[in-house]
Amino acid sequence: MNIKKFNIFNWLLQVFGVSIRELKLIFADVGVIIFFLVVCLVYPVLYSLIYNTELPRDVKVVVVDDDRSADTREFVRMLDATQEVAVVGYAASMQEARRLVNDHECYSIVHFPADFSASVERLGEQAHVNVYCDMSVMMRYRQTLIAVNAVQQEMNAHIQAATVSAIPMNVGGTTLDNKQVPLGNTAMGLASAVLPCILVLVLQQSMILGVGMLHGGSRDRRRRNGGIDPEQLNCSALVTVLGRTVAYLLVYVVPTFYTLLLVPKFFSFPQNGNPFEIIMMSLPYLIACALFAQTLKVLIKGREATFITLVFTSVGFVFLSGISWPRYQMSELWQAVGNMIPSTWAASSYIQMQSNGASLFDQGPTHVMLWLLCGIYLVTATFAEYYIARRQNTGESPSPLKGERL
Amino acid sequence: MKQIFHIFINSLKRSCLQLVQRRFMLLMMTAMPLFCAWFMLDLMKSGAIERAPVALIDLDNSSLSRNLQRNLAAMQGLHITEEFDSFHDAMRALQRGDVLGFFYIPPRLEQRTLAGEHPLVSYYINYAYFAPASQQLKGYKTVSLLANGSIAMTTIEATGLVGGHNIMSVLQPVLTHVHGISNPWMNYSYYLNMSFVPCLLALFVLLATATSIGNELKYNTTREWLDSAGGSMWIALTGKLLPHTVVFVAVGWLVQCLMFRVYGLPLHGNPWNMILAMLLFVPACQAFAVAMFCFAPNYRYGATLCTLMGMLSFSFCGFSLPGEAMYPIINAVGYIMPVRHYFLISADQALNGIDIYFSRWHYAILIIYLLVPLPMLWRLKHECKNPLYLP
Repeated sequence: MNIKKFNIFNWLLQVFGVSIRELKLIFADVGVIIFFLVVCLVYPVLYSLIYNTELPRDVKVVVVDDDRSADTREFVRMLDATQEVAVVGYAASMQEARRLVNDHECYSIVHFPADFSASVERLGEQAHVNVYCDMSVMMRYRQTLIAVNAVQQEMNAHIQAATVSAIPMNVGGTTLDNKQVPLGNTAMGLASAVLPCILVLVLQQSMILGVGMLHGGSRDRRRRNGGIDPEQLNCSALVTVLGRTVAYLLVYVVPTFYTLLLVPKFFSFPQNGNPFEIIMMSLPYLIACALFAQTLKVLIKGREATFITLVFTSVGFVFLSGISWPRYQMSELWQAVGNMIPSTWAASSYIQMQSNGASLFDQGPTHVMLWLLCGIYLVTATFAEYYIARRQNTGESPSPLKGERL
Repeated sequence: MKQIFHIFINSLKRSCLQLVQRRFMLLMMTAMPLFCAWFMLDLMKSGAIERAPVALIDLDNSSLSRNLQRNLAAMQGLHITEEFDSFHDAMRALQRGDVLGFFYIPPRLEQRTLAGEHPLVSYYINYAYFAPASQQLKGYKTVSLLANGSIAMTTIEATGLVGGHNIMSVLQPVLTHVHGISNPWMNYSYYLNMSFVPCLLALFVLLATATSIGNELKYNTTREWLDSAGGSMWIALTGKLLPHTVVFVAVGWLVQCLMFRVYGLPLHGNPWNMILAMLLFVPACQAFAVAMFCFAPNYRYGATLCTLMGMLSFSFCGFSLPGEAMYPIINAVGYIMPVRHYFLISADQALNGIDIYFSRWHYAILIIYLLVPLPMLWRLKHECKNPLYLP
């Protein structure tokens, strides 16, 4: 029996060889470069531009005033003065107002009943204002609600000051003040909330698509060359996986710096994290992504099949990360699925670091999970590579005649 | 005429055969869109966002602060998971991600309140998670106002100025009621899935169309494809894409069934209007993909363009940040996508259930999409006659 002695130096040389070959393949392939570099360059900027206005301002409302008094006019004036809402006009009746909403001329109706000012003046009666909001986009409802509540408080304080002045004690207005302190995203806007998650996601998804396309290219070459990919080095599955991972990491150095550290600077998103710690966090993330991508690539049947096979996963992964629908409210199934995706951990870690100034130590458990995922996906990626190589060696090559093509 | 019909049937046969042979493609056109729709609907099936994990810092420990605490615990939007003795500990918990906000009750709160010193309770909300933050704000604000009201009520009652339930008129002379039309439950799933699920379907339609045209280029079968349609690009495309249309419309109707019947999304209008909208929406997306391919008649760029537009449409079609709030140019680009018009139709017809008259333009535009590729077809035809596949 001839057992070859394991030579660590030789082994590292093989890994290095695979990396160099993979780098050559990447830079020779415009399609892959589009994913690895152009997507990372362009997507964050496009998304940031879309959400850059942060919040809707001056959401259009129409007023139906059955009272026509000084009080209602004051209410409307104050409402119009808020940043959130703009009064576009008066409607004679609810029917007319409803028609304006249906025509999308405005999104809410503010209705004053005929006894509004009488109720304000009379001690012991409450004056009611009804506001009806279109719910097709919830942000408009939220803004209207904030504006209306602010005006209500302001107006109540005025009226109280007048009515309760008879009471010697100081109960007008408030006895107990309250104050909101926004943390993390002090602009309280959409861009600063959504973009950190998207920035992290872009790295993972571009990697998955690029790796898928590289694999599809390899499959296409095998299809043309009778089952053999001339560009692939003859190494063990583990060496191939490790070598490629190193190559992807090298390619992603610049995109990672750009996406995680520079883009927030361009658009003034929260940047409270320590840049060094963010890069430390992104290391296991990128390794996990590279291995995750090399696992997913078994699904790819050809270069361009990457698009239809993998693009839609981006939407799923965004939602699993819990930025829109909170993770604590997901069913256990979806929490578990989310736990398996590197972006879920990296996104929450990045958000906590950049928005709330958390340290890497605070994010320790997340960091450990990322390394754990690296381990899990190293095993699956090696199996995937082994499976692909075996199919190649046994001659089960995809033939263009068998309808194998997509 | 008979000849054209014959050619058309010929082209259709070829396409159907291809579709049946490529099982993977068929899977991506049927099972995956349905799975994705189910994923989105099932993920948010509990509807409203509730019970955000929050912390409490009570440095007063008086009857007033305990009252506040009880009220906080009773709020639907909040779930007090931890209590801390210092601001620093609470902040650390927030940085670890254990809680999404905390309520701070300062020392000597009760004493200072009764002395009329206007003490301040503050609430710290992590706005990095937007939807739970809004729920927290609502909860904290309500509790603070309630506490304020109950203290003031005691004081006013003591003066004997007004009594009984009339006190409310002193505390809140003006009361506003904000109603959400057609979604009074503030159900997040009803709002988000109304737009995101069709947008996912649109992504599949765009990519399937790009893939099927691109494969003809890739495998150098464009001449054969064109010949089967008697040299007419128009017939070749219709023959190729009609079987896809049938499959996707059927899938689309199943998705609608899943949305409106199984998961109970609001369908306040005539269901036929939505069924019609889906029937127009799928061909519109296909036409859009064809137009993208005519614009860039190359597999790689055509498919990349479809991916780009399909993915960005989740953002720039104004589902979360409304269109009028974006930069005007981005808002205008949003109107290019068929899914924007489908979304506006579903807001009118399904959510609000208003007359179809108000959505007439969007229906018309969905039909007009079919004409968009026509002026550019020559580019694709030229490419098909001289196919060049760039890997």
